[in-house]
Amino acid sequence: MTPDFLNTIEVILNGLMAGVMYSLVALGFVLIFKASGIFNYAQGVMALFAALTLVGFQTGQIPFAHLVNEIFGTQIHHWGPGMNNLLAILLTILVMIVFAWLVEKLVLQHIVNQEPIILFMATIGLAFFMEGIGDLMWGADLKTLDVGIPSGGSFWWEDVTRTWVSEGHEYYGMYIDLLDVWAAGIAVLLVTVLTLFSQYTKTGRALRAVADDHQAALTVGISLRSIWVIVWSIAGIVALVAGIMWGSKSGVQFSLSLIALKALPVLILGGFTSIPGAIIGGLIIGVGEKLFEFWIGPLVGGATENWFAYVLALFFLMFRPQGLFGERIIERV
Amino acid sequence: MQDTVKEDDILLEVRNISLSFGGVRALENISFDIRKGEVRAIIGPNGAGKSSMLNVINGFYHPQEGEIWFDGKRRHHMKPHQVAKLGIARTFQNIALFKGMSTLDNLMTGRYIKMRANLFSQMVWVGPAQREEVEHRQRVEEIIDFLKIQSIRKTPVGKLPYGMQKRVELGRALAAESKLLLLDEPMAGMNLEEKEDMCRFVLDVNEQFGTTIALIEHDMGVVMDISNRVVVLDYGKKLADGSPDEVRNNEKVIDAYLGVSHD
Amino acid sequence: MFYRESGDFKTSYIQDQQIFPILQDRVFVTVIIAFAFLVVPFLINDYWEKSVLLPVLIWSLAAIGLNILTGYCGQVSLGTGGFMAVGAYASYKFTTAFPELNLFIVVLLSGGVTAMVGILFGLPSLRIKGFYLAVATLASQFFLVWLFNKVPWFYNYSASGQINAPERLIAGIAVTGPNAPPWATYLFCLVFVVVFALVAKNLTRGRFGRSWMAIRDMDIAAEIIGVAPLKAKLSAFSISSFYIGIAGALFFLVYLGAVEPTEAFGIDKSFLVLFMIIIGGLGSILGSFIGAAFMFLMPVLIKNILVNGLGWSPDIVAHLILMIVGGLIMFFLIVEPHGLAQLWRVTKEKLRLWPFPH
Repeated sequence: MTPDFLNTIEVILNGLMAGVMYSLVALGFVLIFKASGIFNYAQGVMALFAALTLVGFQTGQIPFAHLVNEIFGTQIHHWGPGMNNLLAILLTILVMIVFAWLVEKLVLQHIVNQEPIILFMATIGLAFFMEGIGDLMWGADLKTLDVGIPSGGSFWWEDVTRTWVSEGHEYYGMYIDLLDVWAAGIAVLLVTVLTLFSQYTKTGRALRAVADDHQAALTVGISLRSIWVIVWSIAGIVALVAGIMWGSKSGVQFSLSLIALKALPVLILGGFTSIPGAIIGGLIIGVGEKLFEFWIGPLVGGATENWFAYVLALFFLMFRPQGLFGERIIERV
Repeated sequence: MQDTVKEDDILLEVRNISLSFGGVRALENISFDIRKGEVRAIIGPNGAGKSSMLNVINGFYHPQEGEIWFDGKRRHHMKPHQVAKLGIARTFQNIALFKGMSTLDNLMTGRYIKMRANLFSQMVWVGPAQREEVEHRQRVEEIIDFLKIQSIRKTPVGKLPYGMQKRVELGRALAAESKLLLLDEPMAGMNLEEKEDMCRFVLDVNEQFGTTIALIEHDMGVVMDISNRVVVLDYGKKLADGSPDEVRNNEKVIDAYLGVSHD
Repeated sequence: MFYRESGDFKTSYIQDQQIFPILQDRVFVTVIIAFAFLVVPFLINDYWEKSVLLPVLIWSLAAIGLNILTGYCGQVSLGTGGFMAVGAYASYKFTTAFPELNLFIVVLLSGGVTAMVGILFGLPSLRIKGFYLAVATLASQFFLVWLFNKVPWFYNYSASGQINAPERLIAGIAVTGPNAPPWATYLFCLVFVVVFALVAKNLTRGRFGRSWMAIRDMDIAAEIIGVAPLKAKLSAFSISSFYIGIAGALFFLVYLGAVEPTEAFGIDKSFLVLFMIIIGGLGSILGSFIGAAFMFLMPVLIKNILVNGLGWSPDIVAHLILMIVGGLIMFFLIVEPHGLAQLWRVTKEKLRLWPFPH
């Protein structure tokens, strides 16, 4: 195999890995959309918020320390040496559940009957609010997140691939980040757990019933509000997983919330209601943008990853508005 | 209903219309005509394909087979807004008003196809745009008077009671001054008094403006009273077609409505 | 007590269809415009120009533009920043390619170019709705900004990749560039804002406006009465983009003077303008002004109080403002989806009846 060919494979592999990350965020969107018809723009910020909270617990930061210092002139910042990973993760999950409950109580409950687009705009507001409060609670500085997932290039893979090149070419092997491989594994695990949960538990059945038909679900005694709290909690946990992956990879910072934007074209490709769609859509976008940047990028000045996903989604919308796996929309008059 | 309908004066004719969604046949080989100046009723049990028929006439659905003739010409594949320009207006079963606008604006919007002012005259307003606006406002006020809705002229329609909304929707359809008016269950969900009012309006429209009307209605009393001819659909097929009396005594129709089996 | 309709009888439809049917409104608006043109130019100084008047005027124009598309026609767009960039770069190219060209014409032409681009990116709206469309407009936002960053022709191959507004005169007085006096830049913007606010008012109360609102409220019913969705949506997209393009041109030429696309026209600007019309009031021209002023001045005010007054650190205040903005958006969508303009209308309604509310 020529080095060019191997390089292309490397690009595709890395694209797949990036795609897994997009899928993780998109997954949260799909869950909430199916259960409540809300397009939750704040999903990405939820990932940021969860990651910030996790780091805060790990390192023993005092929430709102900066704000308190500002107001009272105190000098507080940490309450202790921090805590171990598992406890921090569990506490963060608890925070995300409380958050879900608050969102339902303070926001969703009051705008449930509005048009979808109003709900969408409300979640944009929610995203801004969370971003502000996340930074106020934990500070806006770039934080490193390490929960013990291995990272760095895989030497083994480099060695293996080095031998693939045909005679007479110089080739150093493929680079693949261990963290990405782990992320892919965890994503698969997460989807499996979610699928099992929705297929085989009582709550899961209720979730699917609500997704199918709100009114009908209400008539058989399912409480819509508690379902929403559950769904937002699950979405919060998915966000935490996404936050851990992205945070371990590139640090916990504001730009984390921008991956939410990338998840939007993923959803358009995959359809808003399909979990497999979210995953495949994520992979397509991940591979597509990496390949495009690899082949076309150099010709047009690079940085095409900024827009490729959106433009791809745009073209896609023109020809198949319901997405790859979404149900065909038949408009009734 | 008018007594002066001429038999051979046909406004709209559908020939051998078949429509299906995926595998579901909604309409099967339906033919009937609507004469100029008549009140034509389309009746049938729920799911018979009545609304689908209106949607075909309207251009919302495109039948896989069949022809539509309007005003002596074969009508080809058309979008709803093009059909509107031909002179077909309609109301909906579930009210489809512009909820954010006042009654007056709803009716003015109904006159959209009659208005011509271009973008630039709209921008300056003073001049042609204003003249046109006043001219059409006069026509709309006539309709407001006709329907006796003066008092709600500037009320946002979302705030009006159901019966009034139905009336405003009729007004919007009237504002287009169409040749053919399609009414999809204009009296659904109304009490007796409101129904009587609505019947009166429908007949007045037919008589005073000479508008041809095709309506879907479930209340048999109403249908028999106000329509010239009735076509009966059931499961996407045509069961009967004729004067109210003929239809009333048709065995198949009685079966379809009462569910009696004749073997 | 003085604000009322009674006694103000309309005897013709022309009178009933005026821009401001109530006498006091007419007087009020006339006084404001007269004050803005005749008094403010004599009082204005650098601070008021750069920190308050110019940005509020320009953002108002952008908000009117987005309101036409979103508030009146119901199509949500997150591409406002990108379209402002088109206006800015178009004005740059026009004024550097044709230095003699009158600046008014430059700005109008830039609006025209933006309208064309708006139509292009509005095409998907024919097939998709709601947040699908919102996502599609993100494509325009990211693609356009990238384009102006990467294609050197747009910034005349300058080494920094920035564009700088050259000095241009109108009637011998500099309107752009560092030597432009505050009153001149202010008047230049004011003319555009007043003229196009009135034009927007005219458009939205006539045939075009009704076709937009019909599409917004019930697109199926709109089609049935003869509104072609293609024409209505694309006209809304083009006119909206025209306004946003003008705002972008003024933002660059007159207000900032030098522009780097990612910073000046990023996605945050798209959100800012969207928030302006949500808080000001969807489907209200007056609301566009109120929203623009509120969203621009509220953070400035908070910053002044907390940073300059209490000595808090700027980034904490910035986060606090984010929180407040997000909270306000949710609050308004829950409590008053028609925004501040509706509150104003309700107040007027009360005033009309005052002092005898029953």
